Amino acid sequence: MNFKIDRDTFLKALQKVQGIVEKRTSMPILSNILIEAQGDSLEILATDLEVGLKGSYPAKVETDGRITVGAKKLYEIVKELPNQEITFISKENDWVEITCGKVKFNIVGLPSDEFPAVASVKDAQLLELEASLLRKMIEKTSYAICNDETKYNLNGIFTRVEQTENGQVLKMVATDGHRLSIASGAFSGTANPELLKGVILPKKGVYEIKKITDEGDGLLQFGFVDSSAVLKKGDTTLVMRLVDGEFPDYTRVIPAANDQIVKAPREELIHAVRRMAILSSEKFKGIMLEIEGNGVKISSSNPELGDAMEELDVQYDGTPFSVRFNARYLLDVLMVAESQHVLMKFKNELSPSIVTPDSDDELLAVIMPMRL
Amino acid sequence: MDRVILHIDMNAFFASVEQQANPDLRGKPVAVVGSGHRTVITTSSYEARSFGVKTGMAIWEGKRACPELIIVVGDNKKYTDASRQIIAMMRQYTPLVEVFSIDEAFLDVTHSYALFGTAETIAHQLKTRIRDELGLTCSVGIAPNKLLAKLASDMQKPDGLTVIAPDRIKEVLESVTIGDLCGIGRKLERQLNLLGIKKCGQLGRFPADILSRKFGIIGPRLRQMGQGIDNSPVVATEGDEQVKSIGHSMTLGKDIDTRQEILRYLLQLSEMVGRRARRYGVTGRTVSIYVRFADFFTNIQKQTTLNSHINQSGAIYKTAVRLLDGMEISQPVRLLGVCLSNLEYQEQQPSLFAEERRQEQLARAMDAVNDRFGDFKVTFGSMLDTEEKGSHVISPAWRPEGIRSMGLAASQSCTIRTPACCSRHETL
Repeated sequence: MNFKIDRDTFLKALQKVQGIVEKRTSMPILSNILIEAQGDSLEILATDLEVGLKGSYPAKVETDGRITVGAKKLYEIVKELPNQEITFISKENDWVEITCGKVKFNIVGLPSDEFPAVASVKDAQLLELEASLLRKMIEKTSYAICNDETKYNLNGIFTRVEQTENGQVLKMVATDGHRLSIASGAFSGTANPELLKGVILPKKGVYEIKKITDEGDGLLQFGFVDSSAVLKKGDTTLVMRLVDGEFPDYTRVIPAANDQIVKAPREELIHAVRRMAILSSEKFKGIMLEIEGNGVKISSSNPELGDAMEELDVQYDGTPFSVRFNARYLLDVLMVAESQHVLMKFKNELSPSIVTPDSDDELLAVIMPMRL
Repeated sequence: MDRVILHIDMNAFFASVEQQANPDLRGKPVAVVGSGHRTVITTSSYEARSFGVKTGMAIWEGKRACPELIIVVGDNKKYTDASRQIIAMMRQYTPLVEVFSIDEAFLDVTHSYALFGTAETIAHQLKTRIRDELGLTCSVGIAPNKLLAKLASDMQKPDGLTVIAPDRIKEVLESVTIGDLCGIGRKLERQLNLLGIKKCGQLGRFPADILSRKFGIIGPRLRQMGQGIDNSPVVATEGDEQVKSIGHSMTLGKDIDTRQEILRYLLQLSEMVGRRARRYGVTGRTVSIYVRFADFFTNIQKQTTLNSHINQSGAIYKTAVRLLDGMEISQPVRLLGVCLSNLEYQEQQPSLFAEERRQEQLARAMDAVNDRFGDFKVTFGSMLDTEEKGSHVISPAWRPEGIRSMGLAASQSCTIRTPACCSRHETL
């Protein structure tokens, strides 16, 4: 194998796969990336067996070939190379020679046939989605993904297309068992059977999707191959193994009879909660909300530090009550709601509470209060 | 300035308390045993000891040594009550009282001189009060540090008062066998004997580099011990002291070898651990189980750390079973232990899912019933035909207030024990 490539292009390509490559693995080959030169392009592939990312880049290929090289070292090398054309030549026994101007590196790789195969995708199987929609929906849910690996069915975002009276809606749901967040977006086109049934996209894959959508708006292709989800944007293909588990029936978690409704200005509430949370700690995470008339008294107290209180004007005409929340949970929702005001819907201080924007139905969060 | 440390060790504590409670037992050979089926003698009165009755003997062994031996089933509440009263007396002389176990404590009286006089005066006063008010005797050791104070109190039993003054330390250590030092167990003593070290004085003079090579980081500490050096402070035992682990273990009524039976006891232990954790509002991430086999010598401990904090008995049990399944149970099991550590003192965040909330509510309701009517009054169906329930053990970490705890990990993993973590188990 022998090819020449622009240093910046190569660096960006290598940067993209750093998040995929396993840092600590029992399979050394997974710390490597597969580099394949063919025709006039270079393909770079990384996988941790759960998530795989393939990118295609223009290169001057003299001889076709495949090789795997340590992802981190190659990235470190290319990062420090002068901004000139890089020549990349594979030699006997999987050695690789990288030259750039007057710099020369010889590094050892591993044979490419040991690299695990990643599912190949036909474009026909894919449907189209707007990158900006996906990005927004991931932002509105990913904060609630459960990090406890023993609850593997919660280690991702449940994604499904639902039929409503307003047509098809794409739903994304994440929960860690204490709070739950649902994002909704309009969906047009024909949903494939997987999406109608619902799939769990793994956490790591979700963060990679987010990175791809962060690169710019536009259409991307989305679909399924075997038990993996596939996402394509331009020359980049992302493949992720779906979480094999049953996501809890989230519709049963959404309380139906929460008729004590508080309308609060979002920005002000964020600042107030942030201030009150200063006195909360590992041990005392809770902040207290005492709601009465058109005011809410937010307070926190910490036996080791002291106490704090703040009043905020809100709209409320129900009976007075108090409720306690983990400040983090409240902040996470408020940060991703985009509206001027939020609606907080309560039943009582012991039941799940709803937080939604007042002006759109793109987000609905359910938070379980703490015991008083 | 030299510190002045008192070590107070109650003599034949459980047996003496029983003799005080029941005058018929006074002056007679008495052995206190646990309430389980197959227990051992935990304490015997001095009258019994003169016949050769020893702690750890089976009841029949005790009877063989002393046919008149009176067997009394221990009553934990009596002992903890007495212990609490004694500790309260000690605290009148100094706030620096480190409760070491139910019948031992260290007092730092360095700064008590102006108010109460010399350490000897304090020791005499305490001994008199404990005898007058509770009818119990104790041995007191006075020395410049905890290591030597404990050594001193051991020198004269019962009812002793031994002082190791700073200028006599060297001379005393020349004649003390290394095994008498708190922290040097039988195994370590044997290893040191192989190096030709028998007395503390020899240990103190032994080349530090050889000790380091042989014993690693504890090498230098061993040499210091031989020289009678111990800088560990007397740490006042606070009521709200945060414990590091919550554990229970139990010696089984008979050796068991089926998985089914082991599981039943694991569930019971998990419930005991979970209940205590819930009572004190703590959750833990690390679960360990401890298995001792019938041969008395082989034991295994395994632990795992979870991603989330738990205190529900069911969750502890599930983790314990997973650990058990990773063990090779090669022979019948004699003792089982379950321990929760990596604790977090945190307010409870209920679950979003109604099903899990019901579990939490159920546990709370069960706990409330059991708090009122006694342990295991409401419990898991699979435990119904378990005969003995509850551990009959006073934990070595027993404290007058707060969570009683037992750190399995701590007591198993350290080969050298500083006075702060060496204590003996009182099995009732």
